[in-house]
Formats: sequence, C-alpha cells, structure tokens
Amino acid sequence: MKVTIKNWTGVATWRWVANDDNCGICRMPFDSCCPDCKLPGDDCPLVWGACSHCFHIHCIVKWLHSQPQQQCPMCRQDWKFNNK
Amino acid sequence: MSNKSSELKLYWNKINYAFPILNDTIFSDCTGTEYDEVQQIITGMGIQVKVRDLILIHIEKYLRQHVAPSFWSKFIKVDEEVKGFQLFKSAVNDLYESVSNFSEMLRRLSILNTSCCDNRPIFGEKDVILGFKQLIRATLLSQLPLDYHVIINHFYKMSFNVFDNEYESSDMSEDVMCSGCWNEYSDCNCAYIVKVFHDTNRKLMDLQLLERLTGQVLTNFIQMRIESHIQKLCDGTFDVSHIGFLENWLETTVMSWLTRIYCAGSSKPPPDDKNTQNAIMQFKKKLSYYLYYSYTKLRIEQLFNIIIEYPDSQPAVDDIKLCLDKTDLRSTLCKRLQSALETRLLHPGVNTTDILTAYVSTIRALRHLDSSGVILETVTKPVRSYLRNREDTVRSVVSSLTEEGAGSELAEELAKFAAEVDGENDKDDIWDEWNPDPVDADPKVNSNDRRANDIISMLVNVYGSKELFVNEYRTLLADRLLAHNVINTEKEIRYLELLKLKFGESQLHFCEVMLKDISDSKRINALIQQDKMFEIASKNFTSNAMILSAQFWPPFKDENLELPEEIKQHFEAYTKSYEALKGNRTLSWKPHLGYVSIKIEIGSKNLDLVVSPFNATLIMHFQNKPEWTLDELHQVMKVPVTVLRRKITYWQSMGLISEKCTDTYVLVDDSDANKSNVATNQVQEMICEDDETESVMASAHDQREGELQVFWSYIVGMLTNLDSLPLDRIHQMLKMFASQAPGTECSLQELRQFLDTKVRTHQLILQGGMYKLPKS
Repeated sequence: MKVTIKNWTGVATWRWVANDDNCGICRMPFDSCCPDCKLPGDDCPLVWGACSHCFHIHCIVKWLHSQPQQQCPMCRQDWKFNNK
Repeated sequence: MSNKSSELKLYWNKINYAFPILNDTIFSDCTGTEYDEVQQIITGMGIQVKVRDLILIHIEKYLRQHVAPSFWSKFIKVDEEVKGFQLFKSAVNDLYESVSNFSEMLRRLSILNTSCCDNRPIFGEKDVILGFKQLIRATLLSQLPLDYHVIINHFYKMSFNVFDNEYESSDMSEDVMCSGCWNEYSDCNCAYIVKVFHDTNRKLMDLQLLERLTGQVLTNFIQMRIESHIQKLCDGTFDVSHIGFLENWLETTVMSWLTRIYCAGSSKPPPDDKNTQNAIMQFKKKLSYYLYYSYTKLRIEQLFNIIIEYPDSQPAVDDIKLCLDKTDLRSTLCKRLQSALETRLLHPGVNTTDILTAYVSTIRALRHLDSSGVILETVTKPVRSYLRNREDTVRSVVSSLTEEGAGSELAEELAKFAAEVDGENDKDDIWDEWNPDPVDADPKVNSNDRRANDIISMLVNVYGSKELFVNEYRTLLADRLLAHNVINTEKEIRYLELLKLKFGESQLHFCEVMLKDISDSKRINALIQQDKMFEIASKNFTSNAMILSAQFWPPFKDENLELPEEIKQHFEAYTKSYEALKGNRTLSWKPHLGYVSIKIEIGSKNLDLVVSPFNATLIMHFQNKPEWTLDELHQVMKVPVTVLRRKITYWQSMGLISEKCTDTYVLVDDSDANKSNVATNQVQEMICEDDETESVMASAHDQREGELQVFWSYIVGMLTNLDSLPLDRIHQMLKMFASQAPGTECSLQELRQFLDTKVRTHQLILQGGMYKLPKS
C-alpha cells in the first residue's frame, strides 16, 4: 500500500511574539485588537519601544499624544519606537 | 222567615245552575237571558265578590282534582314512538277540550267579575280568561310528573322525521318504506302526522303551554341537528370558511321549522301576534348562540391540525376569530390547544425541527387569530419551556435560519425582517385601530412588546437571551468554516449581515472577524506558496492553512495529535515563511483540525479520499509498518488509547485495517481489500458522515463550565473563611465580589448545578442545605 498526500489543509492560530499577553494600556490581549478597532492583526498591529515594552500601536500613539513628555507608560523611560 | 230561606235556596239553586262548578260539574244549559236574571239576583244581594271568589276556589279545586291528573295520567313511559305520539296527542286534545268546556262558564264569570268593583286581580291577571289560563298552567306544572318528557320526545321525534323527509325528499330512493313515518308508501301516514302535529302545536300555543312543555325537547332536537350538521359540514377541511353557510342554514332551514311549529303550519308569524314573534326571536337568539358555540367547539378540537396546515387553513382561523367574539370560549381554546400541543408535540418522539416548525406556524396562526398576542403567550408557554430543555434547539434554530431553499421558513422570515426594518415609521397612523388588551392579559407585560414580537425573536426568546443564541451561531459558523467542503463565503457574509440587523452589530462582531480570517488565510496562502524557501519544503505535496484569530473563535476542543515527521517539517517551513511575511507574529498549529486529501494505492485499486488529519496520520503509520498495537500507536501519535480504538474503526470499515487480536491491528492484504471494500461501502459512508458531523468546537456546556470555574476560587475562599454557607448566600457574595469576572450572569439555578457537580466530585460537602469544604 502506498499513501500519497495530495493536499494537507491545516489549521493554525496566529499570535504576536511578545513578552506579555495583554497590552499594558488597554488591557486587551495583544492577539485581540485595541478598543477602537474592529479587526485584529494587520489592522491593529503592535509596536515595540526601545525599552522593549510593547503596545497596540493605536494605544501608545494615543498615550503619547496625551502626555507632555514622551515616556513609556510602563517604565517611564523616554519612548522610542524600536524598528526591528 | 221560612219564606225567606226558601227564597234563598231558590237563588242558590239558580246560581248553581249558572255556575255548575259549585257542584263540581261543568255542564249547564244556562242561556244568556237566564244568566241575566242570576246576575241581577247576585248584584241585588251584593254578594258578587263572595260568589266570584267561591267560584274561583271551586274551579281551582276542579282543575287540581280532575283536569291535571287526567292530563298527566297519559304521560307514562312507553317505548314505541307511535304510542307516545298518540298519547301526547290525546292528552293535549283532552286538555284542550276540557278547557274549552269552561268557556261558557268563564264568559258568565267575566260578566260577574265586571260587576265586582274591587278591581282585584284574578291569579295575577286583570282578565278572567287570562287568569284562568294562568291557573291552568300553574296547576298543571305543579303536578309535573318526572317522566313527562318521554312521550313529548316521541311525539316530536316522529314529527321531525316527517319534516326532515319533506326537506330532503329530493333524493327519493326506491325504498318501499316511507322514511318519514316508517310505514309502507301505500299507507303513508305523513300527512296525518303533519296535521296532528300542527293541530297539537296550535292547541298548546293557545294554552300557552308550548314553550314550557316542549321548549326543552325542541331545543335539544334542534341542537342535535345543528351539531350533526356542523360535524357533517366541517369534517377535516380547513380551507373554506363555513360560518356564512351555517348562518344561512340556520336562518332558512331551522328557523322555518320553528316558525311553522309556533304558527301552526304557516311559514310566517302573524304580524299582530307579538307573543309568537317574541318567542321565535328568543329561540333564534338561543340557537344562533348555540350554533356559534358548537362550531367553535369543534374548531377548537381541530385547532392543532388547523395550525399545522396554516396558512392553507386561514379561513378556519378566520372563522374562529369571528366566533370567539360571540362566544365565551377563549379560555377553553387556550386550555385545549395547550393540552393538544403537549400530547401531540412535546414528547421525546418528535424531532426538534418538527417542534420548531409547529411552533412557528402556531405563532403565525395565533397571531392572526389574536393580534394582541395574549393567547399566543399563554398557549406557547409549555412549548417554550420544553424547547428550553432540548439540547439541540438553538442549533436547529440557527441552522434553519441559515439554511437556504424551500422548507426553511425561518430564513425567509429573516430576509423579510430585513426588508421591514426600513418601513417602521408608520406606526402613528394606525392609532385609531387601537384595541385594549383582552382581560386575561398579563398586566406586567407591555402590550406593545407582545404585539411587536416577530417570529425570530419569539424563537430566540425561548432562551431569554440572545447571547446564547449568538454563541451557538458562532459555533455553527466555525464548524462550517473548518469543514472541508468549500464554503460559500459570500453567502455566509450575506447571512451575517441579515443577522446583524436582527441582533445588533456588537453581538456578531466575532463572526465578522472569523469570516475575515478565512478570506485573509487564502491571501496569505497564496503569498506563502510563492515563497522560494517554502517551495523547496513543499515539493512533495501542496498545503494550505487556515490562520485564525484565536481570541475571536469559539474555544476548540482540546485534542492532541502527533503528526508524522514530514508533515511537521512541512508546517515548520510554513511557519517560518509566515514569520517572514508578518513580522513578529508566529503560528501555533492545531494538528487535529483541518482536512487532508490523500490517494491510497492498494493493489490495482486507487482510492481518493478526503479524511481528517488523524486518519491520515494513522494510515501513514501503517504504510511504514503493517502491524501496530494500540499502545505503540499511542506512543507515536500521543492520542489516548480509547480515542484511538474509536477512530480506527474508520479504516476498519474501509477494509484497509483489521483487528488481528485484541488491540493489535494489521494492514489488510491487497487481495482481501478489494472484496471487503465493496461490501463495506455502505458502512464507510455512514461512519464517514459520523466523523464529520462531530463538532470540533467545545460544546456550549463545556464553555460555560469553564466560565463558572472562575467562581470556584472565590467559593473556596468564602468557605475557608466562613466555614459553611447556604446556596443563596454564596450567590449573593459572588454577585458582590466576582462581578468583574467574565460570564457573571450566573443564575441561582446554574450555581446550584455547578456546586452539585462539585459535591459529586467530593470537592464540596452539602449538609442540611449548607455547603462546606471537606476536611482534608
């Protein structure tokens, strides 16, 4: 007997490779979206700071706009986007 | 002095001569001129009042002792109708005769009465004749024997037979017997009977005894006829309105009989006789009420069938609607229909889909019957509570909502709802058609809500919340999306839009993401296939992946499966490729989900199959080594032995694997395979089917269990501090402290069930209504 696989359709779930499960600002899971968004993933991506903390991009942008100084809300270091 | 007394004696004799009743006889030859003399004597002596009263007393005594007993003596129990007929006839005749014998004397008495100036009523009447009739009636009825109706029954039965025969004589058969009087045609008695009948009726009418003596019998007869007529007319057909025919029939046929009975044979009541007209009107009112009553009763008995056939049976529903206003059968209707539903619908032998279909047509029919929705609410209460107990209700509702084609009324209903949403602002225009709620309405419920409920919300309301409903839809959608037949995404999106109109955007947001995941996966797949790195890895077979957003899908069943090495490598390559495509994101595979299309070459035969990853893995292992024990398979596949044993039956039914001895399976030899393959084709399809219908999602029950598990730590904390607590205290404390946790709407009932399972697993102790932690 010989078994040949013609096509294999698998099922997978995607997740962000991050050092935490939830966004520190909106407390929603990273794999979900920020409260202002409807669709997760590409439409509501994550960003990493130089301090290695990460957030939903919409959350951190909103935070930075509302602050006089550009600091990471978690560690109070100056916020820099980490373009890795 | 003696002269005086002899004179008095003479006078007394003369008075006796004029009024023989004083000697208890009736007959006298007294003429008018003779009476004038007597009258003068009486007035001369001024004893009019005394004489009159004496005569009245004697009349009364005579009637009591002679007339009434002889009349009633004819009313005996006889069995033959003819005898009864004759007896009644002669009784009435005799009575009439003896009453008319009084007439001469009564005439004299009324002259005497006019000479008495005291204006005293005679038996309640001003006039002597009327008073006398009153007296006769009173006397007769005071001596009414028990079985008086027997011969009256006979009499009317015979007469009605003749009447019936007259009306239905169009289809004269060739019988030698006249069906009217059951005599041979040669000496048919019908004409005689009709004559006697009218004669007797006239006499009874004259005595004003017709109503009292025969009213009940007549009513019974006519009611029986109405009933049998309705039965004959309305048996099993619901698509014609009968009420018009019935009213017409009552007016023409029945009422013309009655008129002939009351008016001694003529078909029109005499215009000046108010009494007769009144009697007929009274009778007609009674009968038409009875007609509506028995028609409605009949229809109520058939209501279940009518509902099942709705909307074809709409004329019948219209009839009931009309009749309900005229009769007082609302509560009977509710009760009967409820019990019909319970006996015919709500038992384990009926499919949930059938119950739902019946429920939907009940809603439609009753909404038409009673626009206020009160009957509907009362009647369907048991249906709703029954549906709540059926596990597959939500599933059936959801699948029939999304099903396409004929037979899925709910899908049509959903589409209709979508169309209606726009035209909702004309509500103010119908204010003048407003009706108050019926008396049996529940005052706590807003009548607008009751009226406005459409069929789908009635179905959804079975559960009291839309969350459950939406969750079930999500699970079903997930199953469909992951099933291996190509799904029509556009159709699903269309239904999702329809459902959104119904349940609101936020409820169905998850489903939207799920659909987007599927379409996104197609794009990502296409991109990854073009990846050079991946192309090398995938030279053996093609692969697709469905990449899901885990947060938005219902939880999957936890199942483990170790895939063959080459597949694992393939998936790793895919993951790498994905990671390269989408920065900072990675994939976790669900190895047991998905589907595989494989080709099996065995002997000269090729099998093309689409199987689950589990089955594919299994058969690939047998490709490398023809004999496996369950334990060995468990080692390589990391699947529990019980599951293995259950699932290996798929290949057994295909005839590719057989059980050599307990828990040891071998690949079937090529030549055998061909034979058994054909034989087991049937089984294969069956089991194949079975395999696929199983949902890959965790059941709603499991999901809920998971949510309740959150409470467990709270409960343990509570019981550690407070030792023991009753159920409702625990419930209250949870409400207070754990209200932030997800799935917080936990009813007392649910909590009790949850705690009971804990008691069963010995994690809790229930003692005298108090829950306690076991001492460890």
